[in-house]
Formats: sequence, C-alpha cells, structure tokens
Amino acid sequence: MLAVDLFVNGLIFGLFYALMAVGLAMIFGVLRVVNFAHGEFYMVGAYTYVLVAMKLGVSPWLALPAAAAAGALLGAVVERLLMRPLYAGYASWSIMKDEYAVVVTFGLSLLLINLVDKIVGPYPYRGPALTELSRVVLGPVLLNGQKLIAAGVSLALLVGLALFIKRSLWGRQIQAVAQNRLGASLAGIDATRTTSLIFAISGLLAALSGALLAPLINPSPDVGAFPAMKSYVIVVLGGMGSIWGAMIAALLLGILEAFFAVYVSYDYRDALGLLILILVLLFRPQGLVGEKGREV
Amino acid sequence: MKRLTFLAAVTATLYLPALAQEPIAIGISIAQSPPGSVVQGTQVKDGLEIMKDMINAKGGVLGRPIKLIYEDDQGIPEKGRAAAEKLITSDKVVALTGGHQSSVCLAAIEVAHRYQVPYVNTNCWSDDVRKKGYAEVFNPSNYNTRVSQAMAETIAAMGVKRVVAFPENTDYGIGQAKLLAEFIKQKAPQVQYKYETLDRAGKDFTPAVLALRANPPDMVINVMLPPAAYILMNQLYEQGVAPSAKTWLYDGAGLADYPDFWQNVKEAGKGLISFGLYHPRMNIPPIGKELAAEYTKRTKGEPNRLIFQAADSLLLIAEAIKQAKSTDPKAITKALQNIKFSGVRGPFQFGKQPGYGFQQWVDIPYVNYQLTEVNQPVSKSNLIQGPGQPLDLKKLQKAK
Repeated sequence: MLAVDLFVNGLIFGLFYALMAVGLAMIFGVLRVVNFAHGEFYMVGAYTYVLVAMKLGVSPWLALPAAAAAGALLGAVVERLLMRPLYAGYASWSIMKDEYAVVVTFGLSLLLINLVDKIVGPYPYRGPALTELSRVVLGPVLLNGQKLIAAGVSLALLVGLALFIKRSLWGRQIQAVAQNRLGASLAGIDATRTTSLIFAISGLLAALSGALLAPLINPSPDVGAFPAMKSYVIVVLGGMGSIWGAMIAALLLGILEAFFAVYVSYDYRDALGLLILILVLLFRPQGLVGEKGREV
Repeated sequence: MKRLTFLAAVTATLYLPALAQEPIAIGISIAQSPPGSVVQGTQVKDGLEIMKDMINAKGGVLGRPIKLIYEDDQGIPEKGRAAAEKLITSDKVVALTGGHQSSVCLAAIEVAHRYQVPYVNTNCWSDDVRKKGYAEVFNPSNYNTRVSQAMAETIAAMGVKRVVAFPENTDYGIGQAKLLAEFIKQKAPQVQYKYETLDRAGKDFTPAVLALRANPPDMVINVMLPPAAYILMNQLYEQGVAPSAKTWLYDGAGLADYPDFWQNVKEAGKGLISFGLYHPRMNIPPIGKELAAEYTKRTKGEPNRLIFQAADSLLLIAEAIKQAKSTDPKAITKALQNIKFSGVRGPFQFGKQPGYGFQQWVDIPYVNYQLTEVNQPVSKSNLIQGPGQPLDLKKLQKAK
C-alpha cells in the first residue's frame, strides 16, 4: 500500500521535475550553456499566477495562461538582451562563452529574486487552487485535487512538446540547430530565431510548472532554488541537452527520491540527487541517453 | 587671541547642543531577505520601530534620540556574524538586538562577546545561546527548555501514546526535538516518541507524511518555521493524517499568530493546538496595551509575540542606558545584569544560574490554545491554558 502511494507521488513529482528540466535541457542542447536563472523563470510563473488570480480576481484557469505568457516573454527577453552576445557577432564574448553565461545568468537569478522580494514582498503566498477538492481517492492512493490536475496538465504539456519537437517544422528546426548550429544555418534555418523560440518555450514550461504548483508550495521569492537544483541533476542524468533523457531522468528521480525518503533516510533525500550527479559525471558522463561525443 | 576665544565660544555654543542631540545607535540584525524567516524579521522590525518612536516621543534616553541601524543577515549564520562585526566596528553601536533565528544568534553572540558589547536576544530559542554563559548576552525571549517542558506536560495530560515530531534541520528545530524527547521521558514515560528532521528549504514532505498514513500516531508535532511549516501542514491535512479524528496536530513554533498564517494553510489550520507566548487575554501592562494599539493602528492587524518581544528588547537597552547613565557598552552590560525591568509583557529579572536559565527570563509566561475555525484570529481561539493556569482539556475539540 505504502509502496503504491510512494510510486504514484514520486511519478507525479517526476512530472513536475520534467516540466522544469526539459527547458533547461533544450537551452543546454542548443547553446551548450547552463541557465542559472532557470529557477527564477519558475518563480516568475508562480508569482504571476498568484498575483493575477488573487489581486485581479481572475479565475485561476485564466491565470495559468497568463503565467505561461509571462514565462515565455521573460525567456525571449533574456535571450534577446543577455544571451544573444554568445552567438550573434560578439566575438569577444564567444571566446569567454562559459564564463559569460555563468556570470550573466547567476546575476539575473539574484536580480529577479531581489526584485520580487522588494516589489511583491517576502511573505509566502499560497495561490488559489484550480479545484476545491482537497482530497481525491484513487484506489489506495489519496491525492490533493490540485496535485492531480497539475500532474495531468504537466503530462499533456510534455506529450505536446514531444510531438511539437518531433513533428512540427519549428520542432525540426530546433533539432537541427541543436545538432549543428552552423550546418542548420547553411541549410537556411534562422538559428537566431530558433534560439529565441527555445528560450521562450523554456520560460513557458518553467513558469507553468511554478504556476501549477503555486497552490501547493506557497511561493516565496527564493522558491525557484529547489526545482532548479533538481533540474541540473536531471539534465546531467538524462544526458546533457537531451530532451527525452531529461523526461526519463525526471520521472526516475521523482520515484527514487520518494522511496529513498521512506526506506533509507528523509534527511538525505536531496543528497541522493547530488550523489547521482557525481556518479553519472564520473562513470557515465553521457547520461542515460546522451551521446559520448559528437563530430560533424 | 580675543578673536580666537570668541570663535571657540561661538563654535562650542553651536556645536554642543548638536552633540547632546546625537542619536544613540543600536544595531539590529534581522532576516530581511530569504532564506531566513523574513516573516519573523518583518515582525521584529515592526515592534522595534514602534518602541523606538515611543521612546523618542518621550524625549529619548539621556536627552538623546534612539537610532536603529539595520543589517540584513538573511537568516545565515556567517552573515549574522559579519553584520554584528560591521555594526560594532563601523557603525559604533552601543548594543545589539533583533536576533530571531538561533543559528544566527549563536554566530552573532561570539562577536558581541569578543567586543564586550551587550546583546539582547529577541527571539532565539536555542538553549545553547544561554549555555555559553556570556556576560554580554541577555534573554528576554522564550527558550527551548520552556517550550519542551510545557509541551511534554500537555502531552502527558492528554494521555496520547504515539507522538511524531517534525523539526526543521536547524539548531532551534533539532535542539527542541531532542529536549522534547528528554521531557517526555520524564513526564510521560509511556509515550512512544520519535522525530524526523525535515529540510527547512524543502517543498515536498509527502514521503515523510505518507509513512504515517497507514498507521497514524496520536499526535504530530510541528517544530518548523514558515514557509516550510505551512507546506508541511497542508500535506499532513491533504493526506488525512493530522489534524484528524485520530491525530492531534500540536504546534511548538508559534505559527498561528503570524499575519500570513491563514492565507497559507486554510483548512489545514483548523483544529491546530498551539503553544503560544502571547494571547490577547493575557494580562498586559498599560505600556503593552499602548504598543498593541499602536501596532493595530499602523498595520490593521493583531500584534503577536514578536512585536512584544522586539519592543521589550529595545526598551531593556534604553532602561539599562538610563540606569547606567552612560552609553558605554560595558556600563550597559553591568546595568542589564542587575536590572529590575518592567516591560510591555510585565515585570521580570534575569536568572543567574548557569545553563539554560543564565541571564534568561526564566518564568516567561506561555499559553496553549486551539484554533477551531478557519481564519480564526488568536483573540477568538479556544484558550485551553492561560498563563500560569492548569490545562483545561475539556475545551479541546477533535477534528471530524
């Protein structure tokens, strides 16, 4: 009974992790840089949802797309203003690409946390739920209604994203730019526009993840730190830059953590992810489904 | 020569009154940004500001106004240490106060002790702050032994058999959970007690809660601060663990009087039993009533314990300066050691015994109450134990 409970809850948290981590993986896949402000995309989504629903009195179902739009807009603006120097003609920046990306995204993360802290305030805000059902019984499993809806929306978004990447023209362009930016450009793909699109999708997914969880995690300005940390572990475990790897790794980590917390130690549950991170980097740096190397 | 003498006389005439009016600087180190408890930091600041205005409105201390210099320690010990160092060496404060998170207090008192500057602890509960035995550290706030003893007495009286506590992974949380184990052993040896430490930055405590669902204990105890405490309460409620017909939920962290409590817990707070250090039905002296009225005027809310504790911390320093007739930190420390103080929560003196009672208000009053409705203010809650009174368990209502 407990095992079923843990499996289902782990799977659900895995879906939330996946929604966050996929965006990070996409950015890494295309630019080969880590976005340290990814957790703050999540925070902005959570706050947009809460403030639109509570302060403007809008239905939570309408606050959800508002949060998604805020995340997408933030992602696109960050790409245009801060990330474009990495690949669009600023030769001196591309020499120090890694250093630039670390400093600029880390700075952005601190800026966003402090802006929200000063403008909205330090108090945690519990967002309104999408449903009033606080307890839903599914066989042996007892779930919060919001959690169930959030899991369903997350699953639908992940499936939609997979189809978009696989089937749509834009999705194929993303794949092409991720495989070889120069080659894609030579084939007539607008790599700059594609990168913008990736940042917008990444921001949208992280913001939606924050919005869906806002009624469960009582967002405060530093709320993004925890899911961002998980996302880094997932991106490494799945294979740097692999979207499919990130999805599988997220589900796996969610389930492993749930069982580890009960049967080994709750105290060390978060350390489990970091241990996995170290082991993967040491013994299987390509991750679960990543490539060992790439030559073109 | 005459001209020089005249100039010196004019300068002295102009300068001396200004010097006499030079403010007395008091250093405040609180959490004003995450990951520290900003909720607590804001409440402490509110209490200090009101008391500062009250003192200054009556002419200040020794004819000089009080000036508060704030540092944001973010609830991080090393930042608290750096803040204390900066306040003492750069801002030349005559005393430090405001500390509200034990790990930070433990770091900051080392600096205060080194520079022999008085440190008035506003809300750090860890007994270790007292056990250090530093002559400069004074504790008009609550302490872990007091809470654990009171909670163990309640647990014994309620006749529960299995108790699980969830402390946060800090000096305060773990310290209190361990003390609770000791007191339960003494006062209710038949009770099976265990605790599970949770990460104060955590967002998902479901696995720890699920482990209780199959065989719920008779009581779950919260020893966490917001926002993690709110998340834990919501998850306990969602899983039907506590408060429930089988399991009581008992809060040892004083959550229920935070201004954001109900917004964050809603149904999960109904039925909560809470250990409290302030209740509107407590006997409060006129100066305390004046403080409460001013707080309500400024914020439209009910004051909580932190408002009173912060106000008392500043008033203590002001009284000590008055008694010492000096702003020399050593003289203030000496005055505090012997002070007979009457503050916003009533009169008290500091204990002299080494250990948890060192320079501590040992008999600090407390209450136990139960929240019986969603959005219920503390003033309307079900008071099951007034200060110094026996428990009235007949008043307790089990959740349905």
